[in-house]
Amino acid sequence: MRKFNIKAGIVLGLVLVLTNSCSDSFLEVTPNGALDQKVLATKDGVNALLIGAYAMIDGVSGNGFGWEAASSNWVYGSIRGLEANKGTDAGDQPDINPIQKYTETATNPYLSVKWGSIYDAIARVNQVLNVLAVAEADGAISAEDADSFRRQARTLRGFYHLEAYKLWVKIPYVDETTNLDEVTNADSEQTVNVDKIIADLDAGTTLPNDMDQIGRFNGTVAKVLKAKALMQMKKDYTGAKTLLADVITNGKDSEGNEIGFEPKYGDIFDTEKRNGVEAIYTVQYSVNDGSGGWNGGWGEVLNFPYKSGASPGGCCGFFIPSGDLVNSFKTKPDGLPYLDNTYNNAPLKNDQGLTPKQAFTPDGATPLDPRLDWTVGRRGIPYLDWGVHTGSDWIRDQSYSGPYSPKKQVYKKSQEGKLTEVGNWTSGWTANGYRLIRYADVVLLLAECQIETNDLAAARSNVNRVRGRATNPDGFVKNADESGPAANYVISIYPTGGASDPFSSQASARVALMMERKLELGMEGHRFFDLQRWGVVQSELNRILTTYEGGIRSGLYGIGVTVGPEDVTFPIPQGQIDRMKGRLEQNR
Amino acid sequence: MKKLYKIMRSMAMVVGLLCFSISLLAQERTVSGTVTDETGGGMPGVNVLVKGTSTGTVTDTEGNFKINVSGDDATLVFTFVGYASSEIIVGARSVMNIQLTPDVQTLSELVVTGYAMQEKKDLTGSVGTVKSSDLVQVPSGNVTSQLQGRVAGVTVSNDGRPGSVSKVRIRGFSSFGNNDPLYVVDGVPTQDISTLSPNDIENFSVLKDAGAASIYGSRAANGVVLITTKKGSNNGVKVNYNMYLGSQDPGKGPDFLLNTQEYADLQWKVYKNDGTDETHPIYGKSTNPTPTLPSWAGDTDWYKTITRKALVMNHDLSLSGGSQNSTFYVGMNYYKQDGIVIKNFSQRFSARVNSEFKMAKSRISIGENFTVTGRTGNGVAGTGAEGSPIQTVYAIQPIIPAVMTQSVEGISHNYVPGEYGGNGIAVRLGNGSNPYANAIRNGADRQQDVRVLGSFFLGAKIIEGLNFKTTFGGTYGSFYNTNWAGSTYENAENQATASYNETSGYGGDWVWTNTLTYDKTFGDHKLLLVAGYEAVKYGIGRGVSAARADYFSDSFAFRTVTNGAKITDGSSYYNTPSTLASMFARADYSFKDKYLLSATVRRDGSSRFAPANKYGTFPSVTAGWRVSEEGFMSGVEVISSLKIRGGYGTMGSQLNLDPSNQFSLYGGGIADANYDLTGAGSSSLKGFRQTRIGNTAAKWETQITTNIGFDAGFLDNKLQLSVDFYTKKSNGLLVLVPLSSLYGAADAPYKNIGDTKNTGIDLQLGYRTDITPDLKLDVNFTFTHYKNEIISYAGGDLNYFDSQIISTRIGSFNRNQVGQSMGAFFGYKVIGLFQSDSDVENSAKQDGAEPGFFKYADINGDGVITPDDRAFIGNPNPNFTYGLNVGLTYKNFDLTAFLVGSQGNDIFNYNKWWLDFWPSFQNQKSTDLLYNSWTPENPGASTPKASNKSNFSTNTQSNSYYIEDGSFARLRTLQIGYNFPSELTNKIGINKARLYVQGVNLFTITKYSGLDADVNNATSDTAFGVDLGNYPLVRQYLVGVNIGF
Repeated sequence: MRKFNIKAGIVLGLVLVLTNSCSDSFLEVTPNGALDQKVLATKDGVNALLIGAYAMIDGVSGNGFGWEAASSNWVYGSIRGLEANKGTDAGDQPDINPIQKYTETATNPYLSVKWGSIYDAIARVNQVLNVLAVAEADGAISAEDADSFRRQARTLRGFYHLEAYKLWVKIPYVDETTNLDEVTNADSEQTVNVDKIIADLDAGTTLPNDMDQIGRFNGTVAKVLKAKALMQMKKDYTGAKTLLADVITNGKDSEGNEIGFEPKYGDIFDTEKRNGVEAIYTVQYSVNDGSGGWNGGWGEVLNFPYKSGASPGGCCGFFIPSGDLVNSFKTKPDGLPYLDNTYNNAPLKNDQGLTPKQAFTPDGATPLDPRLDWTVGRRGIPYLDWGVHTGSDWIRDQSYSGPYSPKKQVYKKSQEGKLTEVGNWTSGWTANGYRLIRYADVVLLLAECQIETNDLAAARSNVNRVRGRATNPDGFVKNADESGPAANYVISIYPTGGASDPFSSQASARVALMMERKLELGMEGHRFFDLQRWGVVQSELNRILTTYEGGIRSGLYGIGVTVGPEDVTFPIPQGQIDRMKGRLEQNR
Repeated sequence: MKKLYKIMRSMAMVVGLLCFSISLLAQERTVSGTVTDETGGGMPGVNVLVKGTSTGTVTDTEGNFKINVSGDDATLVFTFVGYASSEIIVGARSVMNIQLTPDVQTLSELVVTGYAMQEKKDLTGSVGTVKSSDLVQVPSGNVTSQLQGRVAGVTVSNDGRPGSVSKVRIRGFSSFGNNDPLYVVDGVPTQDISTLSPNDIENFSVLKDAGAASIYGSRAANGVVLITTKKGSNNGVKVNYNMYLGSQDPGKGPDFLLNTQEYADLQWKVYKNDGTDETHPIYGKSTNPTPTLPSWAGDTDWYKTITRKALVMNHDLSLSGGSQNSTFYVGMNYYKQDGIVIKNFSQRFSARVNSEFKMAKSRISIGENFTVTGRTGNGVAGTGAEGSPIQTVYAIQPIIPAVMTQSVEGISHNYVPGEYGGNGIAVRLGNGSNPYANAIRNGADRQQDVRVLGSFFLGAKIIEGLNFKTTFGGTYGSFYNTNWAGSTYENAENQATASYNETSGYGGDWVWTNTLTYDKTFGDHKLLLVAGYEAVKYGIGRGVSAARADYFSDSFAFRTVTNGAKITDGSSYYNTPSTLASMFARADYSFKDKYLLSATVRRDGSSRFAPANKYGTFPSVTAGWRVSEEGFMSGVEVISSLKIRGGYGTMGSQLNLDPSNQFSLYGGGIADANYDLTGAGSSSLKGFRQTRIGNTAAKWETQITTNIGFDAGFLDNKLQLSVDFYTKKSNGLLVLVPLSSLYGAADAPYKNIGDTKNTGIDLQLGYRTDITPDLKLDVNFTFTHYKNEIISYAGGDLNYFDSQIISTRIGSFNRNQVGQSMGAFFGYKVIGLFQSDSDVENSAKQDGAEPGFFKYADINGDGVITPDDRAFIGNPNPNFTYGLNVGLTYKNFDLTAFLVGSQGNDIFNYNKWWLDFWPSFQNQKSTDLLYNSWTPENPGASTPKASNKSNFSTNTQSNSYYIEDGSFARLRTLQIGYNFPSELTNKIGINKARLYVQGVNLFTITKYSGLDADVNNATSDTAFGVDLGNYPLVRQYLVGVNIGF
């Protein structure tokens, strides 16, 4: 036994020595393939984090935010605003259906993704500011750079919060000092939150206009965003008017270039002119950059005609302009729109129910606003350089979605493979960035402020500037042999005085302005939020549904769809309420 | 068993020789003879003893013996481990030929347990074993699949894809993350045993409770499977060759799909139900009495088109043998399985070398166990991802020809004969792509890998009973995959240009184990002590992926990444490994072979935890009482043996914790953090984001188990029953906390915020008897029942989370909620279909309600159907699973039937979403929708009205319509074999030759309507039991031979 003890003791001792001598360092494994905060606390590191915060402007991201979150708001702004139908067939992306029918619940996955995207963006901004503070404390960044980064970051944060406000109104505000375990969206905090959002946007208004890079926010962008926030959240038209007037006079894009009207309306949406004179801020999309489409308009990738090869994109037949939108483009013989809502009385002829082989000639007589055929693809009309739209073979299920195709975001055939992503199931990832803020939008916002502050002559002048550009016959869609306009385009500016001048009273001026935004900014994701700002969501949408759209799309809307008072916003995602038990309240 | 055989034989030889030398002095008459085993083969090393004396001998390599006896009344006792001892009076005979029969009781007497080998009678923990001969009865390339129904307490669900791994769960599952058991192969811990050749396995032990498994500490919570591989024996060279060859029959496939005419008729039915008036682009005006079919219309049976009778083939060749100081085993295996889906296959070649050398008078032994495996295959997505072959059968319309037979002017392409057909021929052809074209285009894709798994060991006998052993082992694997996505023309949504991707990487881990074992008997006291130290590093690895698009040609030879015009991916990963440093000890003590006591403890340190929480200690204690050894039991003849045992202990798990969990990290890829600040349109600037929120407070998942059970033998141990009752409480489960989005989308940290509880019963029943001397019966039955319940989650703040296997078109079906089983199905409860407008009027307000659509239960009774009315509508966990193995031998014939089953589990048949609702992409539909759906004339239907309306009351919600009973019983194999008589085979130098025929999956009894009720959902335990178009197990017919030289 003694022998055993000695030998055993030696071996056991060896084992213990081995155990204790190497285990502590052996058990320290640092992560591979990632960085810690210290490494990023420099000018370049903070800049890279800021780029990461800019990367959410399109709403989508490879870490979990798809087309549900697109900041072009084609679902929440356009479809919800009755400019467009979901399209495709009834069962595709069925979560859009209840949003379009005003019956969505708090568990709708689209809303959850949108919410997640916006607050991830805000979290990214706050990380920029946190790391920036570390870099400043370490003296690793100049005061000038730090100030620019901070102002850009705060402008982004204001923009993202404003997006959240547009959908849900009653939102939590999060900045770099917020205790996330205590933050709420209580009613008592909403006034403060609105002021914080405006203060964030205000921080950007002193940024220079020339930021060297077109994708950064500059002073002009911040002023527009602040004006939009004042209008949307506070109905502060006086404050907004000052900012917008300043932008019209002194505004520049982020490389310091002049801004103004693109001479031909259709050129605004040409991929190659995405950063042209009309652009105040275009979300910068890039293709074939190794992101697999995530940086190339992932948010709008579904929204191309269905017919592969002969039409652009090759997928997926979503985002079909509504009949009401199309009819709105009818003009009276004098070239002015029907402001009395009678435009649906004699709907524009279309090819609903026809196969491509069945003959169809588009209406060549009815006077039309030329912007129609840059906004909507329809049978018989040339579709960019893709040839003439051939009708129902461009549509996935015409009986469900209607006969039209989207057009504004679509690239030209000549751009395929160069300005579109290659080697995937669709070519619908493009460099055709969403026009987040364009000049005409700002001019119309200014006109709106002028109407609300009773400066009707100035408002007429601004609305007419927008209409005036559209009257340029060089900008009309030409028929296939280029011999003339593709339809009977008749458009004019509003006269001063007389029966057809709506700017004689504030009330009729509002109607004209509302129609002008519909015509100029159709399918650009603004409509529902415009109605929200004007306080007419229920009345306007119910009017369209009951008088026209609900009838022609009964398969889509079913029986008796109505827009209720709660439908002015969207419900806050239930999953988020559950995760913040007791702190996040439903908004209805 | 062979190892045991070898050890016992060498011991017996020593004892026997000793005795023999003594007996020489007696000068009595000599008896000689041959001892044979149950197959008639000579048995070497059998101990032959003259009863009541110390005279004895040992049979030679042919089984012959010679022994001196004192006279005719002498009795010879023949003993051999694993066989019933036989006592025979010599009488007048001078030649005695004896056949020994295997002893059921002692056959599995030695069991591999944690860092030791123990006699089964001494076990106090819960350990299940499987004979390797049972495992290989199921012709599969994967041991995990062969395990189904073999061990009580083990639940296995299969996947029909060649080369796939089955899901193995030991005693239910307790964690929200990874519940795979820990496999330890020849001392090397691994999560992947798919590269093992089943024929190389010698011992297979499943450690089920803490008493057995907690010596594996922080990795034991999901159960531990110990595998040792075959070794050589030191009596000459043996050569074995086994093979089988067979055919897998895809069968008729789904019988619930429409043909072309029926599909058109269904469209007419939809028009009628919806009152739609239009010109259908294919069938003509909806006002026509019947649809007209175009001239190009095919009538494709897509299942038939993409499946085939497929080959399965296996060859095993092994050489083993040795001399006094060395043994070796060399095994080679080739396995090939073609998938029933065209072009799909998996093949594996593996080679194993196990050898051991003894030196310094056998005090030192040194050796290695190694296997190298190479695999190659063409895989298919099988989880039901859209576009996977079986799912596509449910998606694509029958009117589309697989290959065009005439020219057609399509919407996106003008087809000529010989081209693939597709939904680009016309609009309204759904979104399913041509699976035949896909399979052929992807036919040249390969997944290849090479993996080495093995260990070196050195053992030293320090003094009698005290042994030291050091083992260094590990795994290393590398893979190379190619993936071509060719350009398409036949679809409505085409891929314009081809893209090509190559992926490669390596991974590995190592383990170094040192143990001291002290094994000694002192009179009535028997003691086994083990102490050890182990260091492990795992998860080492890197990999790279590159892809380009825009290829000039689809030619196979042109497929390199370099040849693509545009880079679409260039990325790599670099794993953060984990380390583990552990000390462990066990003590097993028995007194008078009646009272058994065992204790184990392990202390683990892990790199996955922050310094304050690095170490965890996992103790267990078990006890047993062999009641049958007590005097008072001697009169109870019906009970031959009885042992009661029980135990308590803790185990841990850390599999769910990312190695970086404690760190807050930044990073970001092109797709999630880059932005094109410069407006170039084709490049983006590098951005970063926070990628991980760290948590330094995470600790081990702890599992506390109690187990009580008994092992009993009746009727001379012919009937054996083993029953275990257990409770497993899992505390502090590591959960990826669903943080509020206000925290951003960086990976949330794992926190210890969940508790679950599993209770269950394992029952194993064996019966073995000789009905007549020639007819022998051997029956084995296993029964597994578990029930799991989520006890708490997120500290009571949020009491559920939803989970899904893959993204579906209508969200998730599985909800994990406190008080429920894991993975329970959640949704609206369908209480019928609305029958009339007044029925709609008088029911709770429901979006989309109209006659013929779903009517949901108003659970909260508030008169309106809202998300609050969702309820638990099914449970994918079975009430019990079972396996029944019946073996019959009659003379040279043998028959084995093996039945497995699962009872009481629900399946969420997601395929119904595609098939039973018209607006689900207007893809292939079911005969139910055409013939049995609701109409005013058919009010009793359960399938809703055929309509193009997609809304809350039709196809957008998870509801109980999709739930089906998934119970099944399946004849897994039926095998009939014939052993050629040894007299015959010996003439040509063959010891043993057996020929068999086998049928696999010959029948399945189930009410489930889908292709296969054995639904496997990979590794997820929070979302499973969903049929997404899974790859079915099909019938197979095989012939095989076993030859031994």
